[in-house]
Amino acid sequence: MGEITEFLTLMIPAMVPFLLAAQGTVLSGRAGVFNVSQEGLMVLGAAIGFLVSFKVGSNTVGLFAAFAAAALFGLVLAYMTTQLRLDQFVVGLALYFAALGAAGLLYREVIGVTMAPPLIPTLDDYPIPLLSEIPFLGEVLFDHDLVVYAAFLISAGIYWFMYKTRSGLAFRSIGENPKAADSLGINVTWARTWSTVVGSGLVGVAGAYLPMVYTGLYTEGMVAGRGWLVIALAFLGGWRPHLVVAGAAFFAGMEVLALRAQVAGIGIPHQFVLMLPYVATLLVMVFAFRWARQPAFLGRNYDRESRLVG
Amino acid sequence: MTTQQPPRLEMRRVVKTFGPVVALDSVDLVVARNEVHGLLGGNGAGKTTLMNVLYGLYRPNSGEVLLDGEPVTVGSPRDAIDAGVGMVHQTFLQVDNYTVTENIVLGTDVSGALRLDLDEARKRIRELSTRFGLSVDPDAVVEDLPVGVRQRVEILKALYRGARLLILDEPTTNLTPQEVDDLFGSMRAMVDDGMSVVLITHKIRETLGVCDRMTVMRDGRSVETIERSDTDADHLADVMVGGTTGPGELIDAAALGAVDAEEVEVTVSSVRDAVGVSVQGLVVNNDQGHELVPGFDLEIREGEIVGIAGVAGNGQVELAEALAGVRAVRAGSVEVGGRSMCGRPASAWLDHGVAYVPEDRHRDGILPTASITENLVLGSQRSPGVRRHGLLDWGAAKQRAVEAIEQFSIRANGPATPAGDLSGGNIQRVILARAFARRPRMLILHNPTRGLDLGSTRFVYDQVRVATDAGCAILLLSEDLDEVIAMSDRVIALFKGSRAGEWQKGTVDAYEVGRSMTGLGEARV
Repeated sequence: MGEITEFLTLMIPAMVPFLLAAQGTVLSGRAGVFNVSQEGLMVLGAAIGFLVSFKVGSNTVGLFAAFAAAALFGLVLAYMTTQLRLDQFVVGLALYFAALGAAGLLYREVIGVTMAPPLIPTLDDYPIPLLSEIPFLGEVLFDHDLVVYAAFLISAGIYWFMYKTRSGLAFRSIGENPKAADSLGINVTWARTWSTVVGSGLVGVAGAYLPMVYTGLYTEGMVAGRGWLVIALAFLGGWRPHLVVAGAAFFAGMEVLALRAQVAGIGIPHQFVLMLPYVATLLVMVFAFRWARQPAFLGRNYDRESRLVG
Repeated sequence: MTTQQPPRLEMRRVVKTFGPVVALDSVDLVVARNEVHGLLGGNGAGKTTLMNVLYGLYRPNSGEVLLDGEPVTVGSPRDAIDAGVGMVHQTFLQVDNYTVTENIVLGTDVSGALRLDLDEARKRIRELSTRFGLSVDPDAVVEDLPVGVRQRVEILKALYRGARLLILDEPTTNLTPQEVDDLFGSMRAMVDDGMSVVLITHKIRETLGVCDRMTVMRDGRSVETIERSDTDADHLADVMVGGTTGPGELIDAAALGAVDAEEVEVTVSSVRDAVGVSVQGLVVNNDQGHELVPGFDLEIREGEIVGIAGVAGNGQVELAEALAGVRAVRAGSVEVGGRSMCGRPASAWLDHGVAYVPEDRHRDGILPTASITENLVLGSQRSPGVRRHGLLDWGAAKQRAVEAIEQFSIRANGPATPAGDLSGGNIQRVILARAFARRPRMLILHNPTRGLDLGSTRFVYDQVRVATDAGCAILLLSEDLDEVIAMSDRVIALFKGSRAGEWQKGTVDAYEVGRSMTGLGEARV
């Protein structure tokens, strides 16, 4: 019992980077923009979030700064793909490298080489009154920092927007058939732009959360491939926000499990446990491709006056 | 009062260029109130381009648009919708996994942006579909619907937005004769209700059947606007091609719908006794692994044209691809010229003289960014004519391309022109040139004249005749029923991958075929 509670209590915050980044990916993906720069944006978000928090002394400001920086990269991606119609994958990879480089450079410029690495305070827990007193559930779900609650609220909000509003219906249609959407007066460029900007911003916040939740330290490589996993997660969840939540729980669970396996020194190398999310994604793609559907126009640019694409 | 009313639509001196190509060369068009106005012409004529300008999809270089006498600027489809213009495109612009209602309300009613209450919309859709005779189930998912119903959804989309002027781009392409009649009935109901309808078409017969007036376009210009009562099929055909039609082209004219197919006399039959192609118990799956052709038998004699009539999605693509050797055959046998072909690689089929003209010529027929020369060499790259020292002899290939351009009248700036830059008709000529370069024993034609202008259509038919004279067995799959009936020695109706009826030339009744195509006819195999 205590073991399970502890596991789940650790899993919930571990879900946050996956959730925020994957919902951001899903958001732009449903409009047809396939962002592949998550890993870079998360590293950049982590660096900027850490540095701004360190200098300003406020984690909140750090989180917003990370959002803004990553959103700026998203704007570049949106502009390059909707206006210049450059290949989404190529631009995304370029942005990945640019973000990675920018993160390393910023840290070196601001902090330099130090004997003792600088620290920022980790995020405080805010137990939700009443709810957090429910036995078991209260401890697992309602005794975390504010970003945890925000991540779940954002997931719910994106789900509600996509499936419960008319604008959401219009929005999703862009990723399925932008020409149909355009012919009905839906602004394809605008939808792709804002969703890519906001989506990328969320990826940045996902990165910034990492130094703020566990150690208060920033280390190179602390994102540790989560950005790439997020792409797998978007596919695993079939680009649907509610299923992404379930997928994030699975990924985070594996992460916690790997960590515990490492600590407990069980015979299985923890790397094997870390591989499970990838294996699971592959299996889902192979065996449940009908369920794991993706937007029909994902990754493809739209040109209204193009005479070739029907 | 009525004489004072301005026309519903007036387009003045509209010019549109795509790079160096002048698609619209100062076009004028006047559509009156309460009329069905035909916009007639071949595919390069600019009819669709003109309507795309009106609908805000293309930005014109210059020109004026007036709706009900008011000048309007249409910068996007949103402007067009707001001005009361609706357009049904040739390829349906629908979100496949949305329901009918969701597709129709998409992008409407900004005030209700924060909720998704579709009950009101459903009621409106039911009301509209009753009023105009466009029956649909509002809750069906569109990807499950047959083409005819999906078209009604497209029309309802425009009506739902309160269109005063509805543009229909080649709406009859995939419809059975019954569905065409229903559609024309709905168009009449709309016009009686105060709307105006523009019917884009290249079919003379349907223009005469439903239009009050018609404007003929040719080479990006509007040639003439004619009252229905002042014209007939011959006259329209003359205006369309801009010249006179010779007497030997009656079959072509029938295929274009200028005269009834039944009136065409079979003059010369080139059918020989020898069997060219023999297919037995053919089973083929579609891309999703469903069995779409559950066992098909077919015999085509040398020089014979067998036409397959069917609504799109009844196994035509699977059948054509299996017989062309590019799709795996699950069971059954295919013999071409007495040799069993199943299980051999596509190159063996090619070498044995199987030629395939696919339905989607852009996607499956050419490499759009490769030159005409390269496209023509494709498939015969190993043949001795274009090989030197084990490498491709580009000089010889280019020479071939130059000859093909000459012989097949391909309009291009030269053999180095990328195939994707050509018009649909010229792309089809490239594909035919490639097919005929191998002296085919079997030729599979899938919608070979779809979207082609009159000249190119004629050209395709002429080439088909040359091939049958040479003893080639031809399988013609077409969604244009008139074409199938006019061209084929035998017509087979295809429904759910099976033969739903078969008729010899001269005994074909279009309505009967139409019933069989939709599974309603009695099979007489």
